[in-house]
Amino acid sequence: MIHVSELKKTFTTYERGGTFREALISLFVRKKKTVNAVKGISFDIEEGELVGFLGPNGAGKSTTIKILTGIMHPTSGEVDIMGYTPWKNRRKYVENIGAVFGQKSQLLWDIPPLDAFNLNQSIYRIPSNEFKKTVSEMVEMLALKDLVKKPTRQLSLGERMKCEFIMAMLHKPRVVFLDEPTIGLDVIAKEKIREFILEQNKKGTTFILTTHDLEDVEHLAKRVIVINHGEIVYDDSMDKLRNYFGEKKTIHLTTRKKIMLPKHEGIAVRSQLSDYDIEVVIDLSQIKLNEFIKKVNEESVISDMSIEGLELEYIIKDLYQV
Amino acid sequence: MMQVISQNTREKMKGLRYSGFGVYIQGIKSSLASRMAYRGDFIMSMFIMMIVELGGPVITLIIYNNGASFPGWGVYEVLLLQGIFLLSRGISFPFFMGIVWNTISRVQEGTFDLLLIKPRSILLMSIASAFDSEDLGKLIGGILVFGIAMKNLPAQPLHNWITFFIFFIFSILLMFAFGLFMAGLGIVWIGNYRIYDIFMTVMEFGMYPKSIFTKSFQTITTYIIPISLLASYPASALLGKPNTNVLLALASAIVFFLAGLWFYFRMVANYTSSGG
Repeated sequence: MIHVSELKKTFTTYERGGTFREALISLFVRKKKTVNAVKGISFDIEEGELVGFLGPNGAGKSTTIKILTGIMHPTSGEVDIMGYTPWKNRRKYVENIGAVFGQKSQLLWDIPPLDAFNLNQSIYRIPSNEFKKTVSEMVEMLALKDLVKKPTRQLSLGERMKCEFIMAMLHKPRVVFLDEPTIGLDVIAKEKIREFILEQNKKGTTFILTTHDLEDVEHLAKRVIVINHGEIVYDDSMDKLRNYFGEKKTIHLTTRKKIMLPKHEGIAVRSQLSDYDIEVVIDLSQIKLNEFIKKVNEESVISDMSIEGLELEYIIKDLYQV
Repeated sequence: MMQVISQNTREKMKGLRYSGFGVYIQGIKSSLASRMAYRGDFIMSMFIMMIVELGGPVITLIIYNNGASFPGWGVYEVLLLQGIFLLSRGISFPFFMGIVWNTISRVQEGTFDLLLIKPRSILLMSIASAFDSEDLGKLIGGILVFGIAMKNLPAQPLHNWITFFIFFIFSILLMFAFGLFMAGLGIVWIGNYRIYDIFMTVMEFGMYPKSIFTKSFQTITTYIIPISLLASYPASALLGKPNTNVLLALASAIVFFLAGLWFYFRMVANYTSSGG
């Protein structure tokens, strides 16, 4: 459904400098700077996939999404989405996509979301019966009831975000781009929105999720693409990502005596709160779990302990530092 | 039979709703609903705008009351010209000139992208989302001044009215061209609201009879930046005063409009290719 090949985007920007003197000079003479935002990335996404597209700030994530949504032209490379080249057949292409931007609202502040939905009905040429049916289904699914008839400014952030989703999905797009869809939301609103995304995904909608919220990724994405410095540094399933560093465990230990860790390969201290409280990452391919626990207990006497798999945050942080 | 007709009418209405015009009307309805959410501000801002716009005609009255005049133009003739000027602004500012502010602010905030992901022309989307009810005050002011002037002038023959309407359409076309140039500049010249101020200053020259300016300035305002077409040409046509080089002036307006369209879409292409 989505085919991206050797996609590149190069920007020319100007250096202004940080000091007042440099800013003043830049009024007359500006130094050109070429930025390779995307450096020839390739990937394919099948219909019905829900892919997490991650990367640190300035990695090239937004540039890639802007190219895929037809907003921006690439410097070179190929993109084929549902048979369209986004920047060449923009108007035809965008009829089939939807987008939710957590920080850019498509609703109109002073009027009810329902009025904004009506505007989208005209823009996307949605037949009246179909429009009414979709709105009532989605309002029900997102538990919005009569809130869609209240002015947008009177709605909470969570309610507004739910309405943004309806706005983006009224025309039943086949591909939806989500950019930070749960930013600033409370846990209940996040959960509802995640449920909604999964429900729509089950019906066959393809989602590309860009976020810094790794909980969203863990709950939603089955596949993850990580981009850094304009290059793809990881493209595989969530399960494989969890085992990215091999079989590792995070162990949080509290001891009665001062902690003495065994001198052995495969033990790394992640954080130490005190002489009696430590968090370590152990590589099970190098040291057995029972052997590690036995040795620590002999030396320091364990009073409390928790064992967890390696958190996604830790793995992603490592990928971002590549 | 009646049923077939009403069915056809309904189908046509549906077709209209999904047309570019339908999107535009829906955009106007949404903007009006937004502004009407603050009733006091909605009415007051229109009223204030009307008062502000009446400044020009008031100055004209003061000039004439003090014995001075624009050569070859009586007081009500000048008021008619200024009424036409206000009508031209009163139609263009609320209905499509909002494209300038809309584009400049959206490019600056990064929300211009939201218009690009809609399956419609970016020009239509920029205009449909920019209706400004406040500027309807200009239209009311224009109707008022035009009406007062016409009441105090002799009735004009039909062919004068026809010529006037043709010129007036060109006046609107010219305003649209100005809007396109400024919106285009707003895409590449990020956050520069001075574009608008410069335009307003240049446009002010259109509020006076062309004949009061020097020959060289008349050439500029007729063929290069044809602001004489905003009100001077339509008013002369309605009053039966001779207009010189009419065809050349109209051709110049068409060229200006086409250049505006070309410039606007060129700037949009620049935006999408550079990423804003």
